[in-house]
Amino acid sequence: MKKLLAIYALLIGAFLLYLFYYQMHDSKENPWDNQGLRGEIGEKYVMVTFQAGIDYWKSCLKGFEDAAQALNVSVEFRGSTQYDAHEEMTVLEQVIAKKPAGIALSAINPQMLNATIDKAVDAGIPVVLFDSGAPASKAYSFLGTDNFNAGATAARKMAELLDNKGEVAVITSVNQLNHQERTKGFQDTIVRSFPNMRVVAIKDGKGDRVASREAAQEIMAKHPNLAGIFVTEANGGVGVGEAARYDGKDKKMKIISFDTDKGTLDMVREGTISATLAQGTWNMGYWSLLFLFHLAHGMVQPTNKQTANPLPLYVDTGITVVTEENVDYYYAR
Amino acid sequence: MAVEKLKWFEMNNLPIRYKLIIHFLLISILPSLGLAVLINWTVDQIIEKQVNENTLQIIGKVNGTLESYASNMQNISYFIAFDPGVKRFLLGGEENREDDHYEIRKFLQGFTTLYSEIAGILVVNNRGAYISNEMYARYPSNLTEETWYRAAVEGKGIFKIIGHPRGRNVTTHVNYKDDEVISVVRAILDPDTQNVLGVVLIDLKLRVIAETVKDVRLGKSGYLAVIDEYGENIYSPARPIIAKLPKEWFRDGNSGTFSKRVDGKKLQFIYRKSAFTNWTTVGVFSTNDSTMEVREIRFYVVSFVFFVCLVGIAASFYLSYSISRPIGQLMSFMRKAEQGDLAIRYRGDRMDEVGMLGQSFNKMLMQINKLISHAELQERQKREAELRSLQAHIKPHFLYNTLDTIQWMARKKGAEDVAEVVESLSRLFRIGLSKGNDMIPLEEEFAHIHSYLTIQKVRYREKLQYTLNMAPETRRLSVLKVILQPLVENAIYHGIKERRGPGHVWVEAGVSGGRLILRVGDDGAGIPEDRLKALRQSLQAVFPADDGKAMKHALSGYGIINVQARLKLTFGDAFGIHIDSEAGQGTTVTITHPIIADARPEQNEQG
Repeated sequence: MKKLLAIYALLIGAFLLYLFYYQMHDSKENPWDNQGLRGEIGEKYVMVTFQAGIDYWKSCLKGFEDAAQALNVSVEFRGSTQYDAHEEMTVLEQVIAKKPAGIALSAINPQMLNATIDKAVDAGIPVVLFDSGAPASKAYSFLGTDNFNAGATAARKMAELLDNKGEVAVITSVNQLNHQERTKGFQDTIVRSFPNMRVVAIKDGKGDRVASREAAQEIMAKHPNLAGIFVTEANGGVGVGEAARYDGKDKKMKIISFDTDKGTLDMVREGTISATLAQGTWNMGYWSLLFLFHLAHGMVQPTNKQTANPLPLYVDTGITVVTEENVDYYYAR
Repeated sequence: MAVEKLKWFEMNNLPIRYKLIIHFLLISILPSLGLAVLINWTVDQIIEKQVNENTLQIIGKVNGTLESYASNMQNISYFIAFDPGVKRFLLGGEENREDDHYEIRKFLQGFTTLYSEIAGILVVNNRGAYISNEMYARYPSNLTEETWYRAAVEGKGIFKIIGHPRGRNVTTHVNYKDDEVISVVRAILDPDTQNVLGVVLIDLKLRVIAETVKDVRLGKSGYLAVIDEYGENIYSPARPIIAKLPKEWFRDGNSGTFSKRVDGKKLQFIYRKSAFTNWTTVGVFSTNDSTMEVREIRFYVVSFVFFVCLVGIAASFYLSYSISRPIGQLMSFMRKAEQGDLAIRYRGDRMDEVGMLGQSFNKMLMQINKLISHAELQERQKREAELRSLQAHIKPHFLYNTLDTIQWMARKKGAEDVAEVVESLSRLFRIGLSKGNDMIPLEEEFAHIHSYLTIQKVRYREKLQYTLNMAPETRRLSVLKVILQPLVENAIYHGIKERRGPGHVWVEAGVSGGRLILRVGDDGAGIPEDRLKALRQSLQAVFPADDGKAMKHALSGYGIINVQARLKLTFGDAFGIHIDSEAGQGTTVTITHPIIADARPEQNEQG
């Protein structure tokens, strides 16, 4: 009987050893996906914008892609082809129907998309907003430029360029909250801080180079003493630059633009545009995906938006004034 | 030493218990082990084959996806060439028309709007002027000098995949690094002159390829990698098993499977070439790293074998124990019996072979006990009779020598009658001794009786008449010695002596019914009825009920009992003495004796 017990002990021991070995082997993860935060390649995060073709998003998308690379997840870029709120809503609906792991959204309009955003959040799809927000929606967070502050920065730079006096104008996209805020920041600062300055015109550039050029030409014709134009958007900046160049006022007219696309940078380098405001677009994309990843994996506390906000409600991705001196740093290397 | 070792292995020398255990273990565990090995082997084979096939299929699908991306790019390059604005730009002339450029940019923007996998599109004409939304030259130099431009020109309008751009004077505004994009180019030709008007350069984000390829997991740690026709890595995972896949390995055929030892690791390679992109997609995984399914099946098989071992060992131990234990018990009983303890009995109510063996063993022991006690009794009685006979004859031996002397002296002195008596007496004693033999020829027995009667005749004179009648065929038959004398003595003392006047004693020997019949009769007083009954009873009971007492009686006069006992002891119950008597008429005593032919040669009786 003792012998039998010994044999059994031996057998069970051997089996346990095998089990242990099996478990050990099993838990030995794949050597190339066990470092740090790692998602699944099947996990798809979608970036939804409007006017999807414009260069501005490319930097955001690059940030989004870089984060995806770091986290081993997939990303997709979708957006309305036109500046069309209904089209963006349709695109967003389509994206939600595909049940992605998360959506980073740039809202064309602060109100129009609220219902759709809420629908996505209710369906358990995390949504964060970047660049232009929709404050009344259930989206978890907004990452973008503090536009009022950006407008104020532009106003101070304009005052510096014009020695605190003269007539200025603003060309903006009137329907977009971020552009409205930039305009408001600019206007308020001029009114409050620089009594010798005056905003004489605010025109809609429709986010388009040609439309902005025409708007600028119109203003310049109307206000011959115009000393400076603040353009809240990059395409418009290039258009205004072209308008100033045609008029031969390029050296006198101070133009402050927004963003750092190639055309704008070239104009800053040649002096047509005096300064431009660089947004942290790469950061918007990159941190949006990180936020979404954390939400999708339940790595934030609490995960329920009703009780408390799990993520910073607002993240300022910062702004930098680009002039002739530092423009070279903004070209691609 | 070797012989001893051999002996150890000899099955026959093993205890039955171990034999049974080995037997059961062989039957239960060996087949299951064999089955396990077989299943393992088969599963390994099948799954490996399936994995290879699946991998090849997956690679085919991946190639298909990559081809579709490439053909998409090709279509875009054609589409760009169709645009009249682009055509004007390529043909040159009014290059500085800002609006024209603006229109082309808008047009190109449409592609990146629809295809987010495009990192950038660049259209360059044959004079080095270019239009692009995303890309621009790093420093002012003629882009037509670039290798990618020349490669496109060489292609003569055929779509060409450059792979990762290397050291080109073109950068993307959003800072895509060289190894994050794949470049494709196509020269746009003048349909009439076939001159190169310009080149379309499209950068495709590697991300889309990586997502397609990364999605594939081969076995546990396998992965897919893509290399181009020059052996350059298009895509490989962040930490590959093998850093560089030499293109020489994938030379034969469009697809294939082979294994190679790289840095001490045995790797399996499965590849398939895409004719359109000229890329080879390679599946790499370690051969040692079996797939999950195989591991799982192996786990179940091992668990099964373990279970079988567990149950099998218990069952074999129990079975062998249940068989060998009763045998062992029986064996220990037998050993005790062997050592002399015959009183031991096997106790058990088993009805199987062992139980039956036990019952037989018990019966055998009983039989042995009976036989032993029987033999002991017989032996003792024989010994005692012999002893008595010796005691009775040693002294007469000396006496008969003396008698011989007396006989000779009597003859010398002429006393013939004395001499005759003495001679008879002497013969009587000589036969009585008979060299210690139990059996003597009937002839001698009769001679003995004759001597005895001669002596008695001297004493009783005319009162005793006698007749000896021996059938001639009985002369040489052997009989127990001195069985007639006690009967004749009885006939004289109790028959003739008690009667008035002369009496007659006769002794006969004859064969009847296959038996030797000896009869001693007299016409004496006879035996009264009640005494005859008692006598017959004591004759009946002489053996084996009370041995000692009967013998004593025989000594003290009942010679007939002695004879009866000797007959029964020697020949069994079928033989013995029968008495017939009638008061006043006489007595006949009949001895039934087996016919025993005398084997001995006739010999002289020399004292």
